[in-house]
Amino acid sequence: MADEGVANRYQVLEELGRGSFGVVYKGIDKSTGETVAIKHIDLESSEDDIQEIQQEISVLSTCASSHVTQYKASFLRGHKLWIVMEYLGGGSCLDLLKSGIFNEVQIAIICRELLLGLEYLHSEGKIHRDIKAANVLLSEKGKVKLADFGVAAQLTYMKSQRNTFVGTPFWMAPEVIQQAGYDFKADIWSLGITAIELALGEPPHASLHPMKVLFHIPKNAPPRLEGKFSKEFKDFVAHCLVKDPDYRPTAKELLKHRFIRTAGKVEALQELIQRKRNADARADHAKHPVYYQETLHTISPKDEADEWVFDTVKSIVPRRGTVRSRKPSSAFGVEDAMRKLDLKDGPLQPTTPGTVRKATAVRRNPSSASRQSSRQNFMIRHASNGSPCASLGPKRPLQPDMSFGNSGSTMRLFRRVPSDGSNSGYLGSSPPEFANENLPPPAYHSPVEPNSKEAMLGRRLYNKALEPCLDELHAQTAASSKREALARISDAFAFLDAVDPEGAYHLLRSLVSTVSHDPKLSNAFLPQQQQQQQQSPSKTQQPSEPQQPAQQGTVLIRSRGGAPPTTAAPASPTPPVSAGSPSKLVFAQDNPYLMSHHRRRGSMLPTSAGAASDGSRSPERSPERERERDRERERERERERDREKEKMAALEARFPGRQAVPGMEHCKALSDLLYARWTDGLRARWGVMAGA
Amino acid sequence: MSFFFGRNRARTNTTDLAKQARDHVTKLEGPQGPAKAEELAKVLAQMKQLLQGTHAEAEPNPEQIYQLVMGMIDEDLLYLLAVHLHRLPFESRKDTQVIFSYVFRFRPPTGPQRPEPFALAYVVEKRPQVLVELCRGYDHKESATPAGTVLREVLKNEAAAAIILYDDGEEQGSSVRGVGGINPDRAQSGRGVFWNFFDWIDKSSFEVSADAFTTFRELITKHKDLVPRYLAVNFDLFFDRYNTVLVQSNSYVTKRQSIKLLGEILLDRANYNIMTAYVDRGEHLKICMNLLRDDRKMVQYEGFHVFKVFVANPHKSVPVQKILIMNRDRLLQFLSHFLEDRTEDEQFIDEREFLIKQIRNLPPAPVPPQQR
Repeated sequence: MADEGVANRYQVLEELGRGSFGVVYKGIDKSTGETVAIKHIDLESSEDDIQEIQQEISVLSTCASSHVTQYKASFLRGHKLWIVMEYLGGGSCLDLLKSGIFNEVQIAIICRELLLGLEYLHSEGKIHRDIKAANVLLSEKGKVKLADFGVAAQLTYMKSQRNTFVGTPFWMAPEVIQQAGYDFKADIWSLGITAIELALGEPPHASLHPMKVLFHIPKNAPPRLEGKFSKEFKDFVAHCLVKDPDYRPTAKELLKHRFIRTAGKVEALQELIQRKRNADARADHAKHPVYYQETLHTISPKDEADEWVFDTVKSIVPRRGTVRSRKPSSAFGVEDAMRKLDLKDGPLQPTTPGTVRKATAVRRNPSSASRQSSRQNFMIRHASNGSPCASLGPKRPLQPDMSFGNSGSTMRLFRRVPSDGSNSGYLGSSPPEFANENLPPPAYHSPVEPNSKEAMLGRRLYNKALEPCLDELHAQTAASSKREALARISDAFAFLDAVDPEGAYHLLRSLVSTVSHDPKLSNAFLPQQQQQQQQSPSKTQQPSEPQQPAQQGTVLIRSRGGAPPTTAAPASPTPPVSAGSPSKLVFAQDNPYLMSHHRRRGSMLPTSAGAASDGSRSPERSPERERERDRERERERERERDREKEKMAALEARFPGRQAVPGMEHCKALSDLLYARWTDGLRARWGVMAGA
Repeated sequence: MSFFFGRNRARTNTTDLAKQARDHVTKLEGPQGPAKAEELAKVLAQMKQLLQGTHAEAEPNPEQIYQLVMGMIDEDLLYLLAVHLHRLPFESRKDTQVIFSYVFRFRPPTGPQRPEPFALAYVVEKRPQVLVELCRGYDHKESATPAGTVLREVLKNEAAAAIILYDDGEEQGSSVRGVGGINPDRAQSGRGVFWNFFDWIDKSSFEVSADAFTTFRELITKHKDLVPRYLAVNFDLFFDRYNTVLVQSNSYVTKRQSIKLLGEILLDRANYNIMTAYVDRGEHLKICMNLLRDDRKMVQYEGFHVFKVFVANPHKSVPVQKILIMNRDRLLQFLSHFLEDRTEDEQFIDEREFLIKQIRNLPPAPVPPQQR
């Protein structure tokens, strides 16, 4: 689609923030070099009417004011909506408040700028309806801009009013709460509350429950600014907070207020931005920017095995049909059944339009308890963000979109597998069931409960390592034939995980041990084990581990379990690998454990100096850097073989029962390792793109 | 010459505004285009101010407005502005939108009151091309939003909606000669302006597509007499386009929105006959069942709300029964795991259970439905 092309105009960089609406990234318009903010709204996860989002866009796109965040473009990418906006580097006033309240001079400037923005909006027949510090953004130069038009309204006629109950309780004007019809003046009230918020750090009644506030505001006298503030400031706030909107001044009138007229230049606000930066630096947040990662979910996978049967040509169906049609008269209680089919008996009442949807439109977040339970039962879950834990249930296999009946069917893949006596891993899936291509694999819907340590690890291996890296590899592979091949591996693993997680564990174990036996392979895949053993042959050897020959590539790990290891890796400083660049995946040279799974989610973290402070994962790569490069080249070649191996591995997984070695840490460490190798190879190939 | 007009500028302005605007707008394409656009922008801003008054200060003068509206009709300015909307500067497009909204709403303060606003009645009866050209605003992303906003206002009027639905070029019974010339019983050729909406929705950029869809939805859901009759006459044409272009669109938003709208159309009491005709078709059920298997769960969910209409129908046609029976086991298996994470959506769960029961209780072979 054309829109895909538009997306390529933008280089998406690190994450700026996230909210209920989606994630905001910093980005660069490649055609102009301009820095922009890009909001990604996952439409699939919102049940909101897309119309509401469209409303926001249409309000924004008809604004042309230096006091309103400038809208640039919006387009669809799969089920993600990208909204490109002007980038404002100063952050929101709420962020800036975190490093201290504002002084009166600053507040006066902000209020004047906001009034100018409101004057513009109101003259355009727009009501913002959600003025608050969080929605006031500053540019690096100190320019003040109104943002977030998520609930803004466009009036067609100047005199018309609104009744919709929207906004944020603490900032809401009494007439909005009472839903008695309101207009532009509602924004003025919210401005007054915002002024208090900037002066005190929080809006009035902030300690109350938001629902309670809704009763408070209309019932009580308007809040007043109290404390050591100038008379002008207090008077300005009092003017904004007049309960009767008819007596509340307009933005235009308030611009003449003394407090506003004496306000200084916006450049004075740079101080606030600087203060915040200093505070951040002092706090040593060492916040690693989270970089944008293309997710797989725009690549519509399709489970062709599960197709409906519409043609009577299909082998099994007509047979069944004819058998039954021969005894139509004996069909038990047809009339009775038909009566049961009557609409009135069911919860569906198609003759009452609207209500059906109305009720379902109620949005409730599933309680954590129910989510928990569904997870325990390994039910289907949202495959929404590809988080590792989300892969427990039946999973749609990775597959490029292909027409029905072509190659790539999951079922064919399964049928190719010899189903001799060795497939003890299969739980009751006997070959005959696969005879019908249209039958979904039953195992997909009933993943087994892992009941052994091996199985748990196997499942973890799949969830934390195999699936994410297959996903990523698939996402980054361009050629469709290669994608298909990858998709099949992914299918196979998903299936294996569903029926026999233990098998997955054994598979990887034996795979690693085999690899380690071959000198060339082990050199390519398991170099750091050997190095590590040379460096610290005994230090990390765990007592529980059985004695294994070193060349078997034993992975040495101090401890397992959730907590990060207390012993930090030898702290030779991390070389700054093009700081800020997401392209370079850093992996541990001497301690595979360090590559704990969470790194994968944040694998785009740059190795800046900040990383060194994090003892649990200060990656070690400096001495080996040269060698590393050589290896990378070799790995490039190995990658194809590697993939082949995976395919083999999927087959081998059918033959579990190899000796299980206690000390489950291997599994996890190896999966991490495998993943790292994999991604490293990828990065060598795709790094140019990712690194820009 | 300007000194000559100087004396009574206030008066000539009102009547002359439309004329001036016409002069400028017709020259927009010429070599003086940019200059004309600037002058036109001023005129339009003046017209807007005259119509809506300045914010809270000067009240609009009904007499002046009347003169302006008459002038605009005389100069055919509504049509010209609609045609050239995308050529106007940014602010002028917004001004034009406001002007249209006010003009179409204006009722003369004196004289006999008609049910329809004055200018709108004129357009519907004598100049339907104004509405058609407003729709064509969707051809350009510049004009899509202002034109769409005006259209949605105007389409609340049934006659205006009829103009768009029944526009069919020079065909007999087309709305081209005004609302009186419409023959609702003649099947549409599919070349009228209404049928362009499918492409505007499917092929335009997100902004245009979304706006066009909103207008389309208004058009198809608002009028409970007009639309069911229209759909009945043009049933095959409409649903064929709807299902191929919109429901199976490549755009996620178009797909999801149009499935939802389909559900709304079918479940509208006014469309009862349309619904029964729709759910009789096996083809429609096939499309719907494939939606249940879409990659996107919200598409599945919206598809479910159409699917349930097929299953809940007590008078299922033989083709529909055939498909359901043929897939009975598959459906039962599928539905038992369908959108399982909607644990909090009780109505959905109830409906899913109901469908499972209905499918389980299907007769072993299709039974011709009883007479309704």
